[in-house]
Amino acid sequence: MTCRLVPLRAASLWIAALAVVSLIAGLAAETLDFRALDHDRIARLAEQRHGAHVVQSLRQWRDMMQAGAGLPEEDRARRVNEFFNRRIQFGEDIDIWKVNDFWATPVETMARAAGDCEDFSIAKYFTLRLLGVPDQRLRLIYARARIGGPRSEISQAHMVLGYYADPEAEPLILDNLIHDARPASRRPDLTPVFSFNGEGLWVGNAATGNPSASATARLSRWRDLIARMKTEGFE
Amino acid sequence: MSLTRRIWLTILGLTLAAFLGSLLVNIHGARAYLEEQLTMKNLDNANALALSMSQIPDKDPVTIELLLSAQFDTGHYQEIRLLDPKGGVLVERQQEAGMEAGAPAWFVGLFPIRATPGIAQVQDGWKQYGSIHLASHAQFAHRDLWRTSLRLSGWFLIGGLLAGLLGSLALRAVTRPLDKVVEQARAISERRFIRIEPPRVPELDSVVSAMNDMVARVRQMFADEATRLDTLRDRLSHDPVTGLANREHFMGRLHDALESEDAPPHGVLLILRLVDLAAINREFGHAGADRLLGEIAGVLETARQGHERWHPARLGGPDFALLAENETAPETIASPLVERILNLRDEHWTPIEDLFHIGAIRYRRGDAIAAVLTGADRALALAEQTAPNTWMASEQDASAVEVIPAETWREIFADAISRGRLKLAHFPVIDNHGGAMHRESFIRLRTRGDGPWRPAGDFMPIAVRLNFAASLDLDVIRMALEELRQHDGAIAINLTAETIADWEFRARLAELLKTHAELCPRLWLEVPEYGVFGHIEAFRDLSREVKRLGSKIGIERFGHRLAEIDLLADLGVDYVKVDTSFIRDIDRQPGNQEFLRGLCRMARNLGILVIAVGVRDERELALLPELGFDGATGPAVGDDRDNLAGLMNF
Repeated sequence: MTCRLVPLRAASLWIAALAVVSLIAGLAAETLDFRALDHDRIARLAEQRHGAHVVQSLRQWRDMMQAGAGLPEEDRARRVNEFFNRRIQFGEDIDIWKVNDFWATPVETMARAAGDCEDFSIAKYFTLRLLGVPDQRLRLIYARARIGGPRSEISQAHMVLGYYADPEAEPLILDNLIHDARPASRRPDLTPVFSFNGEGLWVGNAATGNPSASATARLSRWRDLIARMKTEGFE
Repeated sequence: MSLTRRIWLTILGLTLAAFLGSLLVNIHGARAYLEEQLTMKNLDNANALALSMSQIPDKDPVTIELLLSAQFDTGHYQEIRLLDPKGGVLVERQQEAGMEAGAPAWFVGLFPIRATPGIAQVQDGWKQYGSIHLASHAQFAHRDLWRTSLRLSGWFLIGGLLAGLLGSLALRAVTRPLDKVVEQARAISERRFIRIEPPRVPELDSVVSAMNDMVARVRQMFADEATRLDTLRDRLSHDPVTGLANREHFMGRLHDALESEDAPPHGVLLILRLVDLAAINREFGHAGADRLLGEIAGVLETARQGHERWHPARLGGPDFALLAENETAPETIASPLVERILNLRDEHWTPIEDLFHIGAIRYRRGDAIAAVLTGADRALALAEQTAPNTWMASEQDASAVEVIPAETWREIFADAISRGRLKLAHFPVIDNHGGAMHRESFIRLRTRGDGPWRPAGDFMPIAVRLNFAASLDLDVIRMALEELRQHDGAIAINLTAETIADWEFRARLAELLKTHAELCPRLWLEVPEYGVFGHIEAFRDLSREVKRLGSKIGIERFGHRLAEIDLLADLGVDYVKVDTSFIRDIDRQPGNQEFLRGLCRMARNLGILVIAVGVRDERELALLPELGFDGATGPAVGDDRDNLAGLMNF
């Protein structure tokens, strides 16, 4: 799935969403430990892989997280949204990664300083999780975005991160299309279609222990992502 | 536990471990795969359902419930729940109990399949509507796992049987050479020094080569010793001038003929004396005299041809002797002799007019040796008084010998045991400490219900001729077994030399012994030396069969065939009874002492007991342990209640 600006046929969003979800869900789940984070190790590995320039970004990322740690949750969400919206340039996967669809890890996104809507959402999701926001309050949301004003007929497939301060409350939408985070009611341009989070996808298989060894590990984008993050130094 | 069995168990254990291991790994892998598939199905289906529900605009509870029910009813689920964001249950479907189990309960308990339930979010616009929790039924997975396990177990069984079959074939191939090695080792421990073909297995090859070398050295050692002893015995028992038996040896023979258990009941003794050896010496010189003596000896040797029981000897000086056992008519022996010697004189020694005289006497077993010798001397004196170059017989005792026709003998032998005409006479054999080693039991037979008991020498030759020896031997063994059953201690039985060559006899003997296996360890069986070396292969067979049952096997009248003694090395003989002729007057025969010392040493090296037979007095008895004997029998040791002497006067 991409965020190309193409007229949206109703069915195509559906099918794409289903396909991705099955891929994600394909098989859950490596888990990440969000409590322990070795910034030095992550920085060292990233430097080896992407070059010295990434260190600066990662340092800023760490500083942002340290500064945000003491804030109320909603402020943390706004801070993280702003951080990525400000530093990451929007771009298509085909331009950045030379493939049609690619889910980049937060480090990869920061290394390129570019990403598409999924990369933004993923980076924000993991940063908030690292900042101690529980999974239940976060949703990666597939949404239809209307481009070009309230009367526009042009839509595009889009992904945003929703923060639910309360399970039944209106979510705060962290989006890269507009700079600041707004409550959902103030985003008439977006129509939600489906949402998911790590719950159920995280959970390791009880009997087999480490599921990364299973044959289906690479079939799931989610697990592919998690696996790559592990090589980047996330525990 | 035997090596073969250990290897077997090892193969069995390894096969079992390998197959059980692979079975477990397989089941485990299959279970992991099934769990993963179930988890995937849970997640996929939960997401698909959540996706559908998310699309319902107003979240009408009936439609939501219908969607959930439809999914539940058409699929294979344990439960599907729709929870609101707070965790409260909105809709719930659960599989009731009563589904048919897919696998036995113990199997499910042993290999449970625990798939993670699928969780997916249902969206109502921007708001969370709830979450789907979906768990599939594991029943079909259990059934699959169970079937896989059964199939694998089947293969395991087939594979195991095949492996076992191949294993046992391989094992047999591997251990066959080993069996031969073990057989050789066992044979050596039984003092049978056999060689075997080295197997083509390098490890065993070196073992077998070493053992073969050892066997060869042992046999060479025995052969050397035997040659030495043979030479010694020859020197001791033969007259150096004529090569005939010397006086000592001959006297031993004569004693034997008069006293021995199996000696023929009668015989003839001849004494030949050259008239004036001193004159011959003067006339023909020493060498000439020796030549004459040699030629006389040659005549005696020639006369002996074809008579197993004739024993010529030179008694010393001008005296020769011929003991002809089992003969009754002196004239049939003496007349041809006279004729031949006269021919000899006519050819070469014409100047000697008066060359020799012969005195003969007919004796019966049991006669006193002094009386027989005196009788012969008297006859010789008579001949000297009568004429030159003549012979005379002394009619010492003319009582008729009872003659029983062959037909009658047949009848006697046929039902001897059932009519109580057989019995055993027992003679003690003691070891060096005076303890009983065994009793040697001799057969006794009477021809009439009230007749005297006759010793073996009286009837065994006839039995051999009439083909009754084997059945008599078996009768004797039956009696011996009966005796063993009733009394403690061991019994030694003499087998007839001729019967051991009889295959049927050996088979019947083995059968008889097998039915009394518990008595066999106390049964000693012995065969005369000439029987052993005459039928060496038959004796080897007999020895093997008898020893398998725990009986001991021995050789009696031992000592005359030392040149072949190395054959003993692989016969497994337990004991030998040295012929009485070597034992007689041993305390006064330093030469014989040396011979016997060597013989005992050699036997001891082979692990063979040596027993002295015919020990007559305390002086002889006292000397035996020093020479290396292990046991003794004879008049000095003790006689049976009705001893041989008492039997003579029938």
